[in-house]
Amino acid sequence: MDSAIRVEELTKNFGSLLAVDHVKFEVKSKEIFGLLGPNGAGKTTTIRMICGMLTPTSGTVVVAGFDVSQKPQEVKRRIGLVPDISNLFGELSARVNLEFFGKLYGLNRATRKERIDYVLGLFQLRERQHNLVKFYSKGMHRRLTIAAALLHQPEILIMDEPTSGLDAQTARLVREIIRDLNKEGRTVLLTTHQIDEADRLVDRVGIIDHGKLITLDTPEQLKNNVQGVRALEIRLLNDADLQRWVPLISKVEGVDQVVLAEGRLRILSKALPEMIPAVVELIAKQGGQIENISVLQPSLEDAFISLTGKSIREESLSKEDSLHNRLSRSGLR
Amino acid sequence: MNPIETFMHAVWIAENDLRQSFKSVRHVVWSLLFPLFMMFTFSFRYGSTGGIDVDFLTFLIPGIVGMTAMFGSINETMSIVWDKSLGVFDRILVAPVSSISIVLGKTIAGAVMGVLSAVVLLIVGSILFSVAWANIGLIFLVVLLASFSFTGIGTIISGLASEPREAMMLSNLLRFPMMFLGGVFFSIDVMPMPLPYIARALPLTYATEGLRAVQAGMMSTVFFDALVLFAYTVGTILVGSQILMKIMTR
Repeated sequence: MDSAIRVEELTKNFGSLLAVDHVKFEVKSKEIFGLLGPNGAGKTTTIRMICGMLTPTSGTVVVAGFDVSQKPQEVKRRIGLVPDISNLFGELSARVNLEFFGKLYGLNRATRKERIDYVLGLFQLRERQHNLVKFYSKGMHRRLTIAAALLHQPEILIMDEPTSGLDAQTARLVREIIRDLNKEGRTVLLTTHQIDEADRLVDRVGIIDHGKLITLDTPEQLKNNVQGVRALEIRLLNDADLQRWVPLISKVEGVDQVVLAEGRLRILSKALPEMIPAVVELIAKQGGQIENISVLQPSLEDAFISLTGKSIREESLSKEDSLHNRLSRSGLR
Repeated sequence: MNPIETFMHAVWIAENDLRQSFKSVRHVVWSLLFPLFMMFTFSFRYGSTGGIDVDFLTFLIPGIVGMTAMFGSINETMSIVWDKSLGVFDRILVAPVSSISIVLGKTIAGAVMGVLSAVVLLIVGSILFSVAWANIGLIFLVVLLASFSFTGIGTIISGLASEPREAMMLSNLLRFPMMFLGGVFFSIDVMPMPLPYIARALPLTYATEGLRAVQAGMMSTVFFDALVLFAYTVGTILVGSQILMKIMTR
């Protein structure tokens, strides 16, 4: 199969901050490829370099056979970008927004009308097409942003956190749309920090952390790699300082890794369920009260934990803030 | 990308910008209501023989027109800092559009807004205060050059500011002193030292002087002022576009 996007040794420094570190991957034509990593891992920076919006410090990006640094306009004609933040003109109606972008993509009047009608229908926005975008709900914003990216019928669709911040129902709709677009023959590159999304949606996934691509495989294969390992998830009653349990439980025999994930302790072990009594006993002895305990099959999350030594859910906010702060301080955002 | 395409992109970007500005209350207030308010307030001045001071009106109104071009243009360029903070440049740059088109589009939008606002005041001046515009072609030329140079200044402010409030603050910090030192309400000849020197450094001074010179038929002054405004235009737009390019193509 041909490659739609080829990224070679891609690196980006913001001053002393190494945002993307010699990343190398290939997106095959007509596949859904996911870049999975916590916020601030370098996913958006990578995407921006692929789209020609940010000049790499070093490395090359080839999209649809064109080197982005040599032929940026050729690349831009062939990609549609759905950014993580909807950046359409709020003071204008959906139709006027689409008209404007249609013109920039060189669509003539007749094609523009036909394409705008089509995408507005596809995303069920026709009834509200004349309303100002600033009055749209979050879900409508997202749909319009995707519609705008599809106006010029790009062969490659690049989506940065496509379902981030959406309610479950709208997120499901967006995922269905992505699958349909892929079935139509479009290549999709998406980034996500949600394990479930990567697991359910993508053909292949690259795990990115601290600017480095750690691994790249199908979700199934990544899960197979942690075969034999199972996860034990424990929720404690009224415990403000969960962090103190991590080193304690790590010392229990048979425990491979312990991380915090959304207020729960997630323990990876090959010796499940045999090590459960030892863990329960330790918690009781140290004054902890268990609210809930469950044994889980290995998930993509466990693959992530075994590769990075942490949960993807554990530190997302603080890392995003730190990157944003760094960038705004250096005047780059 | 060919030059025609680059230019057409710029025109569409300008059109899109202006379309939004016409709907914005902030624009109407700063570009029209404020200059109109100043025009009416300062027109209530009585001459030595009683009644409205007609001589002062012929002095005031061209000055107000120049000032309006300044408010209109600088106000329009504030959209740059909004676009910057909302990620609109990114959105446009994902399309096959060169950054030159964006810079050009923003410049056109600023100049058009300056000229349009000034035209409204020209009309109001002639209807309500019976000002007879001597040579509308030359008036238009001075207003256009002034609008371009103010757009350049606005682009620099908007490009350097990190967020909209900072840009508004900086632009007011520049607009208000310029309004009083640029010869709108009183001639720079009557200013105490060293204010005339400061006034001579401001583009608004050349706009007001140029417009009054058109009215008085002093062609050499018009030519000189137009030349200074042209130099200002080239200088500020070059610097402004460098700043914008740096923001967009980092």
